[in-house]
Amino acid sequence: MNGVHQSGSSTVWSLVLFATLALFAATLYAIFVVAPVEQQMGIVQKIFYFHVPSAYAMYIGFGVSAVGSAVYLLKRDPRWDALGVAGAEVGTLFCLIVLLTGPLWARKAWGVWWTWDPRLTTTLLAGMIFAAYLALRSMGDAGEVEKRFAAGLALFGLVDLPLIHYSVQRWRGVHPTVITGKGGGLESEMYWALGLSFIAFTGLAVLLIWARASVERQREESARLRLELMHR
Amino acid sequence: MRALIAALVLGCTMLITPMALADSPPEPDTAAAETQEDAAEERATQFVGVRGPEAESIPGGALLLGAYAIVWALLFLFLMRMRGLQRQTAEELERLSAEIRASEGR
Repeated sequence: MNGVHQSGSSTVWSLVLFATLALFAATLYAIFVVAPVEQQMGIVQKIFYFHVPSAYAMYIGFGVSAVGSAVYLLKRDPRWDALGVAGAEVGTLFCLIVLLTGPLWARKAWGVWWTWDPRLTTTLLAGMIFAAYLALRSMGDAGEVEKRFAAGLALFGLVDLPLIHYSVQRWRGVHPTVITGKGGGLESEMYWALGLSFIAFTGLAVLLIWARASVERQREESARLRLELMHR
Repeated sequence: MRALIAALVLGCTMLITPMALADSPPEPDTAAAETQEDAAEERATQFVGVRGPEAESIPGGALLLGAYAIVWALLFLFLMRMRGLQRQTAEELERLSAEIRASEGR
């Protein structure tokens, strides 16, 4: 039964992988061939098609980490802890992508690499919270106390996510609000490119979290065996 | 005596005239020379910061290329790290399982 479950899981994994790869190819075509060059900013605006979906994938990663951590605190099941670690790592990866690609666009659009805009600042804060989570979890084999503390940190990081999202609407800042309710919107070809990119990044985030959680569960199993061997 | 006075006047004229000419400001020739001089004087007397993106030319293509390169490079590094972690964990699991089997056999 376990073998059948594993085989089914492997098939789903392969399907998601191929769908994501195909979507990435279509996304790149839509970005560089279909979507027009923006009138004001020129070609540098095309950073937007990877920058915004990366931010969305960051939300997925950090959200999964917080959910995994919350359930772990309730049930103390190591599988949820593994999901928490995987979400935090993948979320931090996409957060790093957001924080590095954003300044490259800002240099052209604003004339500066960085400014303490509310959205930029809250994104940096979320990155730092989850970097602290990963630093805590990377110190050898985490004990029960470290795991619980890290889970609390992930829940604390979750509070920052709505702040990032609504910061551009609530506080005055310079970050664009093109695709929010207040924005002027995009041209239809631009929407297509962005939509495809959103789906591709969702697939990528799911795949990475899935793979990383699987490795983390193996590490948990390895730690359990080491403990068992020590007590013999 | 008259000859001495005449020599002194001549000597003074020869010494002072070039000095007087050297100190006098040169006549401006053209408007371009004037502008150059103003720019040089501004550089020497004040520093003014760049205001806004239009003040300098920033290569958008290079920034775009850099952004996409960063995305692919980070994803590649993450996958490589995960692969290494998976291999290391699988090897450790194999070793620990073998040790447990050996201890059960004893």
